Amino acid sequence: MKFRAVMNNSSPIREFSTIVSTISKLSKECVLRIADDMLYFIVSDENTGPAPPVLWCEIPQSVFFSEYQLVGMDETHQDIYLGLNSGNLARSFVSLKNVKSLKMKLTKKQCPCLTLEIEVPSTTSHQTRQIVHDIPVAVVPWKNWPDFYEPRVPDPDISIELPSLKQLRTTIDRMRTMASEVMVRASAGGQLILQIRADMAKVSTRFKDLNVAHFDGPVDNSDPETDSQGNEDSSEIVQCRVDAKKLALFLNVDHISTNTTLCSIVHKRLVTLCLQTDDNVKLQCFISGIVY
Amino acid sequence: MAEDSSQYHFTASMDSGKTLCSLLKAIQFQESAVFCALPEGLKLTVEEGKCVQASAYIPADNFTEYHVRDDVDVIFKISLAVLAECLNIFGSGEEASLKMYYKCEGSPLLLVLQPQSFRNVMTDCEIWSQTPDSMLELRSPEETDVAKLVVRAGALLAVLGDVERSADVLELRLQPEPPHFTIVTYGMQDRSCIEVPECSDTLQSFSCERELTLKYQLHHLRLCMKALAISNKVVLRCSSTGLLLLQLKLERDDNKHMFSEFYIVPLLDD
Amino acid sequence: MKCHVPGPNVKVLARTVHTLARFGDELYLESLPDCILLRTLNAAESAYAMIKFNKNFFSYFNYNYYSTEDNEGLKCKISMKSALNAFKSPAHIDKQVESLEMKLDPESCKLIFCLKCKHGIVKTHFVSILDCKAMQAVYTKDTVPNRITSPQRILNETLNSFQTSDDQVTLEATTKSLVIKNYIDSNMDLTKIIRTHVSLDPAEFDNYIIGEETTITFTLKEFRALLAFAEALNLPLQLHFETTGRPAVFIVHNGTTFEAHFVLATSKPDNATQATSTQSTTTKERNKRKDTCNTQGSVKKKRHIDVEFSKCLEEDSHLFNFVDIPDDINLKASNNLDNVKEQIDFDNVIPASPTSRTKIKSVFKRCFESTFDPKSIQGVILAENSDSE
Repeated sequence: MKFRAVMNNSSPIREFSTIVSTISKLSKECVLRIADDMLYFIVSDENTGPAPPVLWCEIPQSVFFSEYQLVGMDETHQDIYLGLNSGNLARSFVSLKNVKSLKMKLTKKQCPCLTLEIEVPSTTSHQTRQIVHDIPVAVVPWKNWPDFYEPRVPDPDISIELPSLKQLRTTIDRMRTMASEVMVRASAGGQLILQIRADMAKVSTRFKDLNVAHFDGPVDNSDPETDSQGNEDSSEIVQCRVDAKKLALFLNVDHISTNTTLCSIVHKRLVTLCLQTDDNVKLQCFISGIVY
Repeated sequence: MAEDSSQYHFTASMDSGKTLCSLLKAIQFQESAVFCALPEGLKLTVEEGKCVQASAYIPADNFTEYHVRDDVDVIFKISLAVLAECLNIFGSGEEASLKMYYKCEGSPLLLVLQPQSFRNVMTDCEIWSQTPDSMLELRSPEETDVAKLVVRAGALLAVLGDVERSADVLELRLQPEPPHFTIVTYGMQDRSCIEVPECSDTLQSFSCERELTLKYQLHHLRLCMKALAISNKVVLRCSSTGLLLLQLKLERDDNKHMFSEFYIVPLLDD
Repeated sequence: MKCHVPGPNVKVLARTVHTLARFGDELYLESLPDCILLRTLNAAESAYAMIKFNKNFFSYFNYNYYSTEDNEGLKCKISMKSALNAFKSPAHIDKQVESLEMKLDPESCKLIFCLKCKHGIVKTHFVSILDCKAMQAVYTKDTVPNRITSPQRILNETLNSFQTSDDQVTLEATTKSLVIKNYIDSNMDLTKIIRTHVSLDPAEFDNYIIGEETTITFTLKEFRALLAFAEALNLPLQLHFETTGRPAVFIVHNGTTFEAHFVLATSKPDNATQATSTQSTTTKERNKRKDTCNTQGSVKKKRHIDVEFSKCLEEDSHLFNFVDIPDDINLKASNNLDNVKEQIDFDNVIPASPTSRTKIKSVFKRCFESTFDPKSIQGVILAENSDSE
C-alpha cells in the first residue's frame, strides 16, 4: 500500500485545513478513505457501535493536490481506509499560515502513520523551515469497509434551502441552553421552524421565504404533536425531532465556505444537511430523529 | 396575539432589546426573578439568600410603547435565565426589536423578537409565570446614610477586579480623613490594601460622617461586577446598620437611562 | 532593602514574577550592593530561574536600608502566590501603575509592595516572609561549546507546531541544522501520539556556534515559560549548552538593566525518563538532604542585630549539594540503600540501572564531585553572573 500526495498552493491548503478542523469539531475519530479520484472523511456515531455514518465528506483530489499517487493492497482493494484521530490531524494543520507546500504520505514508523511534511517560509529570513508530523493511523481491514460506505437513506419528504448557517447556529446555541431536543419543521410554503419546549417556556424561531428544492407531500400529520400556526396546512409540514446538541455540532460546518446548504427531512425519522462548495467538496450530515 | 391586546394587563415594545438583555444578565445570579411592571417602568428583582437583593429598573421612556393597566398589579415570578436567553436568541451581534405581552394574571409572558438585519425571520417565546415570592425589605425608612460616594463604574470595577479572588471577606473602611476609602483583604498570611483618596479622579463625590469599618462577603460584591461593566456611574451608600447599597446608572446613547441596584448585608462580627 | 521601580519597569518586573511563577512556588529575593536577584527553583529541581536587576533598573535603590550593623542586604523567601497577587495583569499593568516601592518592614517581618496607580489610588501588599536565606545554583554559562542567539519569534513560532500535551522536547544541534522534536519515552502509547519535528537552518539565527554536536532533552513547561518571557519583552534568547545530561542555560537580557538566566536540566533521549517517579525520588532526596542539612546545622546561625534574620551560609551553598548521592551506578553506599530500594520499586518497567534518574539529578553534578568545595567556587560564581554578553 502506498499513498503520496502534494499540495502546492496556500489556498487549497487553507480550505483543506478548514474542512479538517470542522470534522474534528464533530467527532474525535474518523475514517479517511483514499480513493483514486476522491478523498473521503467518514464519521460514525461513536456511541452506537457499528452503525451507518453520520457524516460523509467527499473531496475531489484533483482540486487540491498537484501530485497524487495511490497504490492499494491489491486489484480488488484499490482504496486505502485509515482510522485516525481527527483532532490530531486538525492540530497538525492548525498553525499553518503561508505554507509553501504540504506533502501527505503513508509511512511506517513505529506504527503506520500519515506523515505530513510541511514547508513554511521563515518569517525572519529567506530560509524555509521544515515541519514534519507523524500522525498515527490504523489501517482498516477490507472486511470492515462496508461499515463505511455511503449511507443509503430513504428519500426525503422535503428538501429546503437553509438560511445563513451562522444565524441558525447562533439561535440553536441559545436554544440548547433551555432544552435538549429541538423540533425541526419545514413547510412546502418555504418556512423553516425550530421549536423547543423547556420546563417553563416554549420558543419558536420561524424562517420564511426559503427555497423549497423538493416536496414529496402530502404528509400524514394527524397526531397531537403537531402544533400548527392555524393558517398552515398541516399536510404540508414535514417535521423531525432531533438532539439539539447534535444539530448545533453539525452547524459548525458554517466555517466551510459554501453557497447553499440543503436540509432534507424524512418525516419524523431523519434530518440531513448537505452542503456543497465551489470546489465540489460535498459534506453530508445525517441526524436521526428522536421518536418517543 | 390575534386578539385585541389593548385590554392586556401589560404590553411594551422596544426597537432593540440588546441593552435590556445585558442588564438582565448582569443581575442573573439566580434562576428566577420577580417581574414587576409598574406605571413608571419595568423592574426585575433577584435575591440571594437573605444577604443580597439586586434589581434592574428600566424606566418607561426606554420603550417605544409601554402600557400597564392602572387597575391591576402586574407582578409575577419568571425564569430570568430563559428570559435572558430569549432576548438574546439572535445573538449579541444582532439588534432585534422586542414586543412583550402579558394578558392577565396567570398568563405566560409573550415575547416577539425580530432582527433588524434579516427580515425573513422572527422568534416568539412563551414563558410561564408563577406567583411571586415575597421580597425582603432590607432597608427601613428611618435608616440614614452614614457615607455616600459617587464613583466611576469602570474604576470601581477595576478595584474589585484587583482584589485577590481567594479572599472570603472584604473589609471596607470609610473615613472623613485620608485615605477616605480603603478596601482591605486578608490572605493566608498576607494583607492587601487598596486606598482611594477623595482627591482621586475616581471619586466623583465623597461624604462621610464618621469612620466606618465594615466587612462583606467578597463573593457578594463580585456579583455587582457584570453590572459595573455595562454602567457608567455608581453611587455607594452605607447606612447606619452597615447595609451597603450600590446604585448603578447605565446611560444610553439617546439620553435614556437604565438602572440596577444591589443591597448587600454586612457580615457581623461574632 | 528599599527601592523604587519607575512605571515602565514595573511591567518588566511583573512579567518576571509571572514567568518565575511558572517555574516554582517560592520566590527568593536577595539584595546586593549593585543589584537585586530574584530566584526560584521548580519542585522537581530540574529547572531554575534567576533574574538580576541592576541598580540602574531602579529610580531609588538602597540595598540594606534598615541594617545598621553590617553591609548585609536582604535575603528572604516569599510565597510565589503572594508575589503574583502584587503583580496582577502584567499586560495592562503599565496603564495603571505609575511606580512601585518595594521595602522590608523589619518589625512585622514583611515585604511591602506599594504600587502607586493612576488617579491617586494606592495599592499596598504586605507579604509575609517565609524564610531568611538565599538560594543559588551552580551552572556553567560561558565556557560551553554550543551557543545560539535566536530572535524569540523563531522559537515561539516553532513551538506552535507542537501539541499542548507534549511534555518534553529534544534539540538536535549540528553544524548543518537545528532540529527540534517532541520527546517520546518508551512508556507512551505510540499509536496515540503525533510525532513532530521541525528543522531550522542555522542562517535563521543571529549567532550559531556548535562546537560539539549534541542532542539535549528538557521539559517543555519551563521552556514555554521562558520563551513567553522573551516574547513579552521582545528580546532575543541565548542558548548556551554543552553535552547530553548537562544543564542548558537560556539567557534573556536587555544589555543594561536586567539579565535573566533560566537553567533547565537535560536528560539523555534514549533513556526513559519517568517524570513522576523522578519527581518522587527527587522529593525524597530533597527531604533527605534537608535532614542532612539540619545535622550539619551545628554551624552557628549568625544573627543580624537589628532585623533578626538568621543566615546559614553553609546551608545555602549545600542546597543543591547532593553529597549523599553517588554520581554513578555505584549505589552500594549503605546510607543510600533505602534510596536504591525506592528507585527500584518505582522502576518496575525498565529493569535497567537508574542512571537516567541520576542523570536528571546531575544537573548540578559538579556540586557532588568529591573534590568539589562549594566555597571555593563562590567567588567564581559571582564573576560569572556579572559577565555581560
